[in-house]
Amino acid sequence: MMYGFVAAHGYDPGPSQRPLAAGAISGILATIPALGVLIGFGSLEVEARILAMSPLETAAIGSLVMASAGAVYARFFGRTANAVHGGWLFGLSFGFALWGAGAVLILPLLSGGRAPAGNAAAGLALSLIVWGLATGVLVPFVHRPLHEGLEKASKHKSVGPDAAAARKGPVHQQREASRS
Amino acid sequence: MIRVVALRKAIVAGLAGAAAMEAFSIASAAAGFPTVDLVKELSTSEFHRLPLLAEGAALIAHLCIGVSWAVFYAFFFWGRFRLPPAIQGLIFAILPATLAILVVYPELALMRTHSDLVTLSLSSFFASLSVPTVVSLLIAHALFGLTVGAIYRRPVGYAVDHRPPRPAHRQQMSAPNRRENSTAFMFATGIECSYPTIDHGRWRRDEMDSTRHYEVWQRDFQLAREIGITHIRYGPPLHLVYEGPGRFDWDYIDPQMAELRDFGPEPIIDLCHFGLPSWLGDFQNRDIGQALEEYAGAFADRYPWVRFYTPVNEMYVCARMSALDGLWNEQLHDEGAYARAAWNLANASVRMSDAILKRRDDAVFINSESSEFYQPCCPDPDIQKVAEAANERRFLPLDLIFAHPLDKPMHDLLCGQGIAEDDIGKIGRRKVPRRSILGVDYYEWNERLIDRKGQAQALGELFGWYVIADQYWQRYRRPMMHTETNKMDADGAPRWLWRQWHNVQLLAKAGVPLVGFTWYSLTDQIDWSIAINEAIGLVYPVGLFDLNREARTVGLAYKHLIDLYRDQPGYADCKALKEIME
Repeated sequence: MMYGFVAAHGYDPGPSQRPLAAGAISGILATIPALGVLIGFGSLEVEARILAMSPLETAAIGSLVMASAGAVYARFFGRTANAVHGGWLFGLSFGFALWGAGAVLILPLLSGGRAPAGNAAAGLALSLIVWGLATGVLVPFVHRPLHEGLEKASKHKSVGPDAAAARKGPVHQQREASRS
Repeated sequence: MIRVVALRKAIVAGLAGAAAMEAFSIASAAAGFPTVDLVKELSTSEFHRLPLLAEGAALIAHLCIGVSWAVFYAFFFWGRFRLPPAIQGLIFAILPATLAILVVYPELALMRTHSDLVTLSLSSFFASLSVPTVVSLLIAHALFGLTVGAIYRRPVGYAVDHRPPRPAHRQQMSAPNRRENSTAFMFATGIECSYPTIDHGRWRRDEMDSTRHYEVWQRDFQLAREIGITHIRYGPPLHLVYEGPGRFDWDYIDPQMAELRDFGPEPIIDLCHFGLPSWLGDFQNRDIGQALEEYAGAFADRYPWVRFYTPVNEMYVCARMSALDGLWNEQLHDEGAYARAAWNLANASVRMSDAILKRRDDAVFINSESSEFYQPCCPDPDIQKVAEAANERRFLPLDLIFAHPLDKPMHDLLCGQGIAEDDIGKIGRRKVPRRSILGVDYYEWNERLIDRKGQAQALGELFGWYVIADQYWQRYRRPMMHTETNKMDADGAPRWLWRQWHNVQLLAKAGVPLVGFTWYSLTDQIDWSIAINEAIGLVYPVGLFDLNREARTVGLAYKHLIDLYRDQPGYADCKALKEIME
């Protein structure tokens, strides 16, 4: 429902924006404060035990996962993720959703029901909310320098005179395509 | 950006909602009912390491969570249902209540355990939930939703007696100087500036305020220049500038006008755009002609370098929406009221033009009007009559300002509203200023079908701008300009842009003197999907730039188009415009 709503409001980033790169970079950067929380609450060690890895490996793999999550966030929210006033909230919501869906539901499912509890559970929740908040705040600022300039972006074929056509491609190709 | 959010209102609503929840928890605990106090839950799970500060920290966390949910509500939910605001909030509360019951509350219980690692089953995860707990959480969240919904309403616009902050100061910058008296084809856009009142004159819509133009106006002009815009339709806020007879607060536009004077784009000044200062009442007031004449004169005195004017924007639309459709200003539903508004607007337009010509005799007037056409759906005489009346009605204001003989029903309608035959005759014999351009706006809902019930339905682009604009050309024989178009579907907008452009080219090839083309507007607009008759704050994604001031695809397409054509013969030096400017 939310996707449809956002899409209806012109969320598509268009050819001049780089949401995946901006989201991935922001996601990685946001991992730094989130890792601090995980370490502070002792959650990283507990997660490492659940996943049967060392804390370093857990942190490294976690950073890659959060980079992908950042890319998904920025692509999903599209232009709305570029809003300085609203980014923090979108990121925070996304972090909360990751916690609710990932840490609370999926992690126990994948690990035979083993889940962090006590301080470790609190740290995990807080770290994902901090990660979301930081990602949301960072994306608009990280994204801006990644934009293609107006001069170059306006030369894309998709925005040129061919855009007037109702269907893509020459008429004879369209006829053949409809026959087949 | 999805919606315009009144952040302060949302924060107040969130704080109040969270406080209402907590008050309920304390009161029901005091009354001996089994209840969940989320502040206490947080203080004993998240913050138990700080026993002295635990409750305070938990309360702050609870209030922050309340604010976050309220802002979330404001962005994604508010205004989705046509229900009283408090009920909207109540429905929204289902979301945080569900998450609280299924995720947060069981997790808080888990956080209170003394082990760092547990093995969970479904039943052990939800073990902390009981019927009284669930009921208590539901009631608390319902109270939260009702409070947030009741407080968060009308995020855009302001009470009519309120004055928004003055525009940001002008920052020093450098740019190429404005090209004065250019005869190149006009590649234009506009800053959406509508300012009608709604709620029977109590609430002012102000699109420049809602789109943050007062805050970032300098950036807006810079963006327009960056994509090659040569002319910008710009409507200073009449309701803020014109404080009363002989009293003007120019601070609302001085900085912007100085920037436009120095660096462009060349402004086409729109002096009255769908609204009036509250002291002038509404468009039924017969004195608006005299008042707006004073305003136009004062404006031309203050900014003598301005050459292009739209005295009154879309008179037909303004009269119809205000007096026939009952959406803005006087909010009437009456054919006679429409005629009075149309007359008053046309009369004001004529007097404003004359006042400007006294100060600047080479002023150019671009009289923008929405081009409309009504097609009867069938041969039913009643339906035909409705369509015919609508087609006559659309021409009334333009007939008056361009001194075109009135259709008899329109003439009789005016007389029936107490407009003197002499006055009608006088305006009909008026010498129309030589430098008058007919601006023809066109959107996909401008062609309408009169259905079997006699109601108008949008036809989409059936005949197209070429055919509809030609009807206006045949009637008035004035140089023309495509003065507004856009498309709500942001992805389909480049296609619409190029198709409109080909319409313009075809009409020019047919011999019609065409001087310009406009994509309206520079940025996304607010609430135009509902004709700005409610203060919802919905972003209408039709701009060349979104409200973050980042280029939309159609912005890139317009730059492509301008780069492709501006130096071509016939565009670099536009014969039709040259004749007007001489």
